[in-house]
Amino acid sequence: MNESYVSTRDLHDLSLWDKMRGKRALTSFDLEITARCNNNCRHCYINLPAGDKEAKEKELSLEEIGEIGTEAVALGAVWCLITGGEPLLRDDFSDIYLSLKKKGLLISVFTNATLVTKEHIKLFKAYPPRDIEVSVYGVSKESYESVTRRPGSFAAFRRGLDLLFENGLNVRLKAMALRSNLHEQPEIARFCKEQTKDYFRFDPFLHLRYDRNPSRNAEIMAERLSPEEIVALEQSDPERFQALAEGCDKLILPQSAYPPGNHLFQCGAGTASFSLSYDGLFRLCPSLWHPDCVYDVKQGTLTKAWQTFVPQVREMRSESREFLDMCRKCPFINLCMWCPAHAYLETGELDAPVDYFCQVAHARAAALHRA
Amino acid sequence: MKAKINLDATYVQSEDLVSREIEGELIIVPLVAGMGDMEDELFTLNETGRAVWAKLDGKKSLKTVAKELSAEFEAPPGEIERDVTGLAEELLKRKMIVKASKK
Repeated sequence: MNESYVSTRDLHDLSLWDKMRGKRALTSFDLEITARCNNNCRHCYINLPAGDKEAKEKELSLEEIGEIGTEAVALGAVWCLITGGEPLLRDDFSDIYLSLKKKGLLISVFTNATLVTKEHIKLFKAYPPRDIEVSVYGVSKESYESVTRRPGSFAAFRRGLDLLFENGLNVRLKAMALRSNLHEQPEIARFCKEQTKDYFRFDPFLHLRYDRNPSRNAEIMAERLSPEEIVALEQSDPERFQALAEGCDKLILPQSAYPPGNHLFQCGAGTASFSLSYDGLFRLCPSLWHPDCVYDVKQGTLTKAWQTFVPQVREMRSESREFLDMCRKCPFINLCMWCPAHAYLETGELDAPVDYFCQVAHARAAALHRA
Repeated sequence: MKAKINLDATYVQSEDLVSREIEGELIIVPLVAGMGDMEDELFTLNETGRAVWAKLDGKKSLKTVAKELSAEFEAPPGEIERDVTGLAEELLKRKMIVKASKK
């Protein structure tokens, strides 16, 4: 008999995705195992100081994370992103990683790479993550540390990144396009593409802090690029801009594409994934922090959050004429950072328009029209 | 090269993987490096493979597994034994099962 009994499949090729299509079914979740970070990046939406005792005390324990993982697996989750803050700050990172991995989850890790040790390498080589995504804030000490505001962080980043690459781990790189490193974007892109042939992305869209801290939010806004700068940056990456232009008919929507009604959530939040904060707060997506959209799993269960709470949130509606006539029907919504979650972080309301987002979306749409 | 299979031996699913059923699909997730050709890969089994896999509990010999399946599927024992051997060879080669006892 020549037929093979065992097949290998890439995650994306599993037939279960076809079975799940159109259903609300859990496939992945983000776990912020800490909000603390050893860097202090200007644009960061979450970081608290590495030594923040109060934040550390509130962090979910290894046992609590294990229970969350067990429930998530029972609900059907296949993939888990371990993120932070800086996840490697936790002394029990390896135990958390192994605990989730041994439940049969595919694991990705987001890290700034500055704390990678030989012990982490040993762990990742023995029990490989699906990928490790590292942020590149600059490729010179000056620009990198002007973002991270921590002397010595550039050398630590290069050392950690080299360790990951030298050991053949699956590393992906991403860059944030900020006011502080805009001058270095071409070099950052070149560096990333040289290091990883298959994947690199940059993100010029900065959203505000989860804790809505006004002074930190002011710092983030100061790092935002103008709509014209964002468009110019996108156009300077022919691959990215071509992809945008080719997907134009999906990005710029006809009026008929909008379902009638006044539901707030038109996005996929809570349909296939969830996010959990370091202290156990469940959200439908990482940025959705409106008090009516947050569920404390320490006071309940993940299963209840997923099965009962999520549908309640997705049923939320808006009576705001401004929202219903503007964002709810905007043909450029797929080019826009606007969503109820980001609207809340900007304005305190889930259904308020945001001028800056609007300007960026219109500038991007105009560039696509010209192309 | 094919792994040598002894039908009198008992095999058990390796502890270096987790098998999960999602939406009726059996997915085998390797935990350690070196099981798949690439780290991002998962394993699935065909229908015959699934039936055998479920019985690899470290208690029954492959011969007993084949006998049970032959009765369940009303298929000739020789044919089933060939399938069980074929699958076990593949699983052993990929380190997805280990010998539970020597006979």
